[in-house]
Amino acid sequence: MSAHPLFHLDKAYDVIVCGAGHAGCEAALASARRGASTLLLTGNLDTIAQMSCNPAIGGQAKGHMVREIDALGGEMAMNTDATAIQFRLLNASKGPAVQAPRAQCDKKAYQFRMKQSIEWQDNLDVFQALVDELVMNNGRVVGIKTNLDVEFKAKTVIVTTGTFLRGLMHVGQNKNEGGRMGDFSAKGLSKSFIEAGIELERLKTGTPARILGRTIDFSQLEEQKADEKPTLFGFYDTRSPEELFHVEHYGEKRLGWAPGSEPMSCWTTYTGADTEAIIKANLHLSPMYSGEIVGRGPRYCPSIEDKIVRFSDKDRHMLFLEPEGRHTNEWYINGLSTSLPLAVQIEMLRSIKGLENVHILRPAYAVEYDFAPPTQLYPSLESKKVENLFFAGQINGTSGYEEAAGQGLVAGVNAVQKVRGEEAMVLGRDECYIGVLIDDLVSKGTQEPYRMFSSRAEHRLLFNHPSAELRLLKHAKKHKLLKDSRIKAIEEKQQTIEHWVKYLEKEYHKGDSYATHVRRSRDKSSFPEDLAGLSEAVQDEVFYRVAFKGYLQREMKQVDKLKHIDKIKVPQSLDYAKVKGLRAESGEKLAEIQPQTLGQASRISGVNPADISILMVTIEAMSRKAAEAKKAKKA
Amino acid sequence: MLATDTIVALSTPVGESALAIIRLSGPLCSEIEMAICGRSKSLEPRRATLCKYIDVNGLEIDTGVYIAYPENASFTNEAMLEIMPHGNPLIIQKLLEDLITRGCRMAEPGEFTRRAFLNGKIDLSQAEAVADMIHARSNFSLEVARRQLNGSIGQKMSELTDQLLEILAELEAYIDFPEEDLPEASDAGPIHDLSRLIQQVNDLIETHHYSALLQEGIKTVIIGAPNAGKSSLINTLVGSQRAIVSDIPGTTRDFITSYIMLKDYRVEIIDTAGLHTAEDEIEQQGIKKTMELAQNADFYLVIVDHCQPSPSLPDSIQAEFNSKNTLVIENKIDLESKHSQKEFLADCQHCPISLKTHTGIDDFKEAMLKLIDQGIALPKGTDAIVLNARHTLALKQAKISLEKALEGVHSQELNELVSVELRSAIEGFSQVVGKIENDAMLDKLFQKFCIGK
Repeated sequence: MSAHPLFHLDKAYDVIVCGAGHAGCEAALASARRGASTLLLTGNLDTIAQMSCNPAIGGQAKGHMVREIDALGGEMAMNTDATAIQFRLLNASKGPAVQAPRAQCDKKAYQFRMKQSIEWQDNLDVFQALVDELVMNNGRVVGIKTNLDVEFKAKTVIVTTGTFLRGLMHVGQNKNEGGRMGDFSAKGLSKSFIEAGIELERLKTGTPARILGRTIDFSQLEEQKADEKPTLFGFYDTRSPEELFHVEHYGEKRLGWAPGSEPMSCWTTYTGADTEAIIKANLHLSPMYSGEIVGRGPRYCPSIEDKIVRFSDKDRHMLFLEPEGRHTNEWYINGLSTSLPLAVQIEMLRSIKGLENVHILRPAYAVEYDFAPPTQLYPSLESKKVENLFFAGQINGTSGYEEAAGQGLVAGVNAVQKVRGEEAMVLGRDECYIGVLIDDLVSKGTQEPYRMFSSRAEHRLLFNHPSAELRLLKHAKKHKLLKDSRIKAIEEKQQTIEHWVKYLEKEYHKGDSYATHVRRSRDKSSFPEDLAGLSEAVQDEVFYRVAFKGYLQREMKQVDKLKHIDKIKVPQSLDYAKVKGLRAESGEKLAEIQPQTLGQASRISGVNPADISILMVTIEAMSRKAAEAKKAKKA
Repeated sequence: MLATDTIVALSTPVGESALAIIRLSGPLCSEIEMAICGRSKSLEPRRATLCKYIDVNGLEIDTGVYIAYPENASFTNEAMLEIMPHGNPLIIQKLLEDLITRGCRMAEPGEFTRRAFLNGKIDLSQAEAVADMIHARSNFSLEVARRQLNGSIGQKMSELTDQLLEILAELEAYIDFPEEDLPEASDAGPIHDLSRLIQQVNDLIETHHYSALLQEGIKTVIIGAPNAGKSSLINTLVGSQRAIVSDIPGTTRDFITSYIMLKDYRVEIIDTAGLHTAEDEIEQQGIKKTMELAQNADFYLVIVDHCQPSPSLPDSIQAEFNSKNTLVIENKIDLESKHSQKEFLADCQHCPISLKTHTGIDDFKEAMLKLIDQGIALPKGTDAIVLNARHTLALKQAKISLEKALEGVHSQELNELVSVELRSAIEGFSQVVGKIENDAMLDKLFQKFCIGK
């Protein structure tokens, strides 16, 4: 190993990342892996990549994103595979596009491994310090100042501070400052943002209680076992053996076990009539109901108070007990998020089947925090208000580890692009969920913590999870996000798949083309022998493309139709107020969002097709004028 | 910057005319031209050619004149096709529907000109004029749409949109939340809801030909004995509306047609020969024509002399009258009468008036307006009217998607594939009611299902 210089105080880093959660880790790794000098700052080294809420990665649309992260050279997929204690493929009975991998992780193992990945990463310094202030020069960020009054200089800064900005936690009437139980709240940074002209708003989220496993009566619960065959997140068929579980290779430590082996189970139980009675009797003690919490919470993750009140016809609510790891007896109780006082929480928990004698380790709580409405960002995730400043993760109003990681990766790549004066990487809505995520955020903003759903993607049929690597190859190649050997392997895989798709359409077997057989039976039983001998990844993709050809072609046609307006760039010098014929309210909306392309403009709510028509004409006129001016100058 | 899709629009005004012009611009032109003309060879460019129009089902709809313009030598600089069919609204509607089925899309307001500009056919100095034109046209069509959507159609559409979003939300819940404790999925619910929705969309589409009724005028026939006051009635109606009246002597008919505006409705008033048992041949012919006309009318004003015994009407005409489409006008109430008209067309509302003293005219107009508002002659159970061809086409496309979705549910097709059809139906709806954000569906989803693992 080469001598690793300690972090430098005089020289500017290419990229400084503030916060080492799921967004920050991916941002720092993406930047460093592209060769940029990177500094990752965290308030607490022991909480790097902590899963603040449930100990699971993946699920519908989220699992897809993790695979996309892997396809773009991120770490989350392998980190999950190496530390998961249970794998399950959701929607296994539905079609390939909506099947989604999910894993329970060993929380501590996940953190340790991610910390190690960061520690071993070339070009990446990590340091424990609380960022207090942006250092600005001429409307640009040029560094940050820590709470120990140490300044670090940077060409770009990525903010990934999660819920820590003026975090305020509620347990009943009790309030504590902090972004997570046991952690601090970052107060200085909010002020710095406001001074820089960045608007902040409040959101709310929550997490359920953690309980002690040996006080759970598992005999009364239903077991939810792991799949027999794990569906991993990383793509291993295109990686060279040296790349597999890279961290584990350093210092001669090997994984030593197959991902998915020795799985642990989850368990389910239900709230009952008693639970409901206890909650109803104590509703007034919930800060959500007494109006003390002002931030808006997620519709998809209501507190148990909310569920009981809003769905009063439902006599029970399902709860999942999830193990937090192999080396702890702490359990997460999914579906029971609440901000009721501790005493009520205990009473409520003990009214649940199997939890009659349960011991609570940490209470459930709600947390309110500042977020910076993401419409203040370009699709590169750079701030429109402060040059060279990027935002990723929960600070942008999202929720979820996967959403955070996806943004972190994109911000990391784009900070380096910015340093190098190159064009930003913008992932398309028609290419991946991460593209949908970022486009939604910067074009529409969000009113609640934004979580990805597959229904948010217009073209989700194109997003079957095994195709992530193929879909994103273009970007991975262009920005050198993967090792050359892997790029080559993906290209070969692509060719093999295309070959077989053509072959099945063209070759006949028992009177019909192979493809017809596949579409009729919707399984692989009629695959020719040579194909059946190939890797499962290849077979699955060939199957998907052939069996659902009609639908996929239809989607692709739709994509093509919209593509041309996504290619039309909107000049940033365009003054919307002066565009004749544009409706005033559209003009204001457009001026606020500053869309980069006409496609983005068309997705802003309130902007109608006629506005886009007029913009099209205006842009064309501008470019013709520019061309004429150039010509005149030459002459 | 040649566009990837092909647009189509009717370039002549809506309504009956000798010929109409339908324009297409985009890459599909030559393919479509060969298919609809049933030719194996392209038309000779820029030359008028007489051809049949054959629809996707192989049926001949019309014969018309075609002119094909090749790429780089047309108004938009894209391949273009002009079809000149007969100017019958029904034929035009069929042609447009067929062209859309073949992959065209209805042009946005001003889109041909925009394309011409983008493709360099209109010079830079006119950029502003082009933008102004798009603005004006889209404002006009927005205004028309707004007016339509303000009334019962708007209400109906938002109801249907709600239903559609609910159906989709239900389906999406099972895709996006596989781990939630959702109620057991069943096909019965979606099948019922979808069938109901399709029926309603269909009712809305069926009313489309009544849009012609509103654009061309509500065909109103005045029937009555020669001396009952028909002419005075027309004079009164038309006279008070002098500014917007145009008297057009009937050309093909032996009747006088006038147009009046009754609030927002254009009403075509047709005077008929007196309805009495006539001896001579010419009068008999007049009566025959009256009867033919009466059978095709939308609305009837039956005028009777309050002082005379009630007239007797031929059964074939009487069968057309009902409480929704007929008003009985009892004229001359300023005079004493020994007769009662109560039993005459007892189902229909009677309006006592005096054209001489101008009594009861306003009440009569109000009664007529009320009946029109309530949807004269509309199919039973229909309370909304689709006015515009663009909307109808969008709804027809939506209906096709809904039917495919229903078929999918029946055959237990994968949810995400059924959802593709429903989303495409939403696409169609949004052309009528404006952008429908995915968030509206999520709202329904979280209202309906307790999500929150």
